[in-house]
Amino acid sequence: LSSMLRGVVGTESLEEDDLSPVLQELKSRLMAKNVASEIAEKLCDSVSSGLLGKRQSSFTRVASTVKTAMHDALVRILTPRRTTDILREVQASKEKGQPYSIVFIGVNGVGKSTNLAKVAYWLLQHDMKVMIAACDTFRAGAVEQLRTHCRRLEATSGQQVSLFERGYEKDPAAVAFEAMRQAKKEKCDVLLIDTAGRMQDNKPLMEALSKLIDLNKPDLALFVGEALVGNDAVDQLKKFNAWLTDLSTAPTPRLVDGIVLTKFDTVDEKVGAALSMVYESRAPIMFVGCGQTYSDLRKLNVKHIVSSLLR
Amino acid sequence: MVLQELGGKISAALRKMSDATLVDKSVVDACLKDICAALLHADVNVKLVGELRKNIRSAIDQDDVAAGNNKRRTIERSVFKELTSMLDPGKKPFVPEKGTSSVVMFVGLQGAGKTTTVAKYALHYKRKGFKVAMVCADTYRAGAYDQLKQNATKIKVPYYGNYTETDPAKIAAEGVDTFKAQKIDLIIVDTSGRHKQESALLEEMQQVNEAVTPDLSIFVMDSSIGQTAHDQAKAFQECVDVGAVILTKLDGHARGGGALSAVAATESPVAFIGTGEHVDEFENFEAEAFVSRLLGMGDVKGLMGK
Ligand SMILES: Nc1nc2c(ncn2[C@@H]2O[C@H](COP(=O)(O)OP(=O)(O)OP(=O)(O)O)[C@@H](O)[C@H]2O)c(=O)[nH]1
Ligand SMILES: Nc1nc2c(ncn2[C@@H]2O[C@H](COP(=O)(O)OP(=O)(O)OP(=O)(O)O)[C@@H](O)[C@H]2O)c(=O)[nH]1
Ligand SMILES: [Mg+2]
Ligand SMILES: [Mg+2]
Repeated sequence: LSSMLRGVVGTESLEEDDLSPVLQELKSRLMAKNVASEIAEKLCDSVSSGLLGKRQSSFTRVASTVKTAMHDALVRILTPRRTTDILREVQASKEKGQPYSIVFIGVNGVGKSTNLAKVAYWLLQHDMKVMIAACDTFRAGAVEQLRTHCRRLEATSGQQVSLFERGYEKDPAAVAFEAMRQAKKEKCDVLLIDTAGRMQDNKPLMEALSKLIDLNKPDLALFVGEALVGNDAVDQLKKFNAWLTDLSTAPTPRLVDGIVLTKFDTVDEKVGAALSMVYESRAPIMFVGCGQTYSDLRKLNVKHIVSSLLR
Repeated sequence: MVLQELGGKISAALRKMSDATLVDKSVVDACLKDICAALLHADVNVKLVGELRKNIRSAIDQDDVAAGNNKRRTIERSVFKELTSMLDPGKKPFVPEKGTSSVVMFVGLQGAGKTTTVAKYALHYKRKGFKVAMVCADTYRAGAYDQLKQNATKIKVPYYGNYTETDPAKIAAEGVDTFKAQKIDLIIVDTSGRHKQESALLEEMQQVNEAVTPDLSIFVMDSSIGQTAHDQAKAFQECVDVGAVILTKLDGHARGGGALSAVAATESPVAFIGTGEHVDEFENFEAEAFVSRLLGMGDVKGLMGK
């Protein structure tokens, strides 16, 4: 009888046996929402150890105690510890007569170039003078893609948006270096650096990226990841950060400062990739891409993500 | 490479069971738990994993009288069978033939690798002696036509496209007509990336489909995709008759299970896999041989015969 009552009225402290079935269910739900299995597991473990031995008030169901604890944990993880106010940083840089530089990095096809263009649009709306550096010197059409964006951005904003490019097969680090100088010469406020997509296990390409970052010391390194990605999200961020640490010759290596979560419009409620990326990297989601046009760039809504995950 | 880690984990789970002196319920449960965890870690659809667990369970229950060793065989065999049937829907994809002016249309989500794979597919058939041509029916993505053009130039095949026309169906029809008149053997049509949440994009795909009436529509899918794979693949399948799947980016670390779920959703076989950014990083795919290699099982026929 007592085991039947336990589920209804919690008079005893919470034991493993009480929590485990509820957490199992919750873990399954998180994975169905596209949270990486390893992250779902770790989260459930930490919620469990936080609750074990706790007395719960009468008339509270174990399920709702667990759910509340999970809710709080998710909010804590997703709420940025340190928000970067990009506009303020740009302003500060401007006062020093230095263009603020942002590099976009990530695996192939996630939306680096498109979301770079959206960020350009956003900066233009705040009256910033923008230059774009075409440092993807590998993928067919990469340069023309950016040139098209510059033209479209100029047409929509009425402001000048210059493209710095040296064609294909050049060393991207050197192109970025020249672009930096040019941006300063033209008194640009912001330089947006596009890079080629690369797989996180591809050593030569990661070396090239590390070189670009070491040489040019961008003010902000944004990791672009798509909301569609599954368990690989964790591996991508882990390895990008690891390479950037291991390969750097700088005293303090530059890691991923923030995340651009793209293709958010393609996943419905399966928003788990957001959690996987933040949990692994501890970097905040600075922008959310939710479509293919310039205005489809948002800020993260933590409440929305958490409620989608728990629904 | 793809699913190798998954294969290793499943084999390990099965091995653990064969080391047990007594194969009782708890040993079987532990084995199933390990296998399902490995599948989930590889992005196989959560619902599919549930079904797979159920199917294996019932195969074991039917075999209830069997002794421990046979039970292990039963599990091994049903794991193999379930994975193979997930990857092999039992039909062969359309294969273009010379002299027929076959039309093949590439569709898929944004950034999946369509345009790159169009060139790989073109080169694959060019090397077999086909006259091949590429048509750019992506009027949306910035630089799409330049990308296709540069790829086509690299592998020396003719291409068709238009910088100013905004109707992809029109360009597609014109391109296909042009190359049919030139007696090209294989005409490959590249389309824009799209997704199920935007119905206008799906309608546009149907219009291109009607304009070129392809012999085959290939769904291109990024192997790193997670739990949305199934929903997206199904939406494409419902909209155009997907006849084959190509998995891309298998040179990455991705475990490919999401894509595996997409095969289940489209009931179409994986025809090729992409293993790099270069045009020749492209391989044929055979489900059964693949799964057996994956599980380190060696002789497939022997296993299935029992
Ligand atoms: N639906 C949707 N599509 C997007 C979004 N962001 C980018 N895309 C699309 O994704 C595709 C790939 O975008 P790109 O910007 O070329 O990606 P990339 O990371 O620069 O690709 P590579 O440079 O080849 O590695 C394009 O078709 C974009 O329009 C988004 O937020 N939502
Ligand atoms: N590493 C690797 N990269 C690939 C592979 N296939 C394609 N890519 C890369 O993925 C990115 C996107 O490829 P695209 O061919 O532009 O993709 P798409 O589906 O045509 O994109 P949209 O037209 O924007 O929808 C590019 O950087 C390609 O080089 C592959 O097998 N391996
Ligand atoms: Mg790009
Ligand atoms: Mg394309």
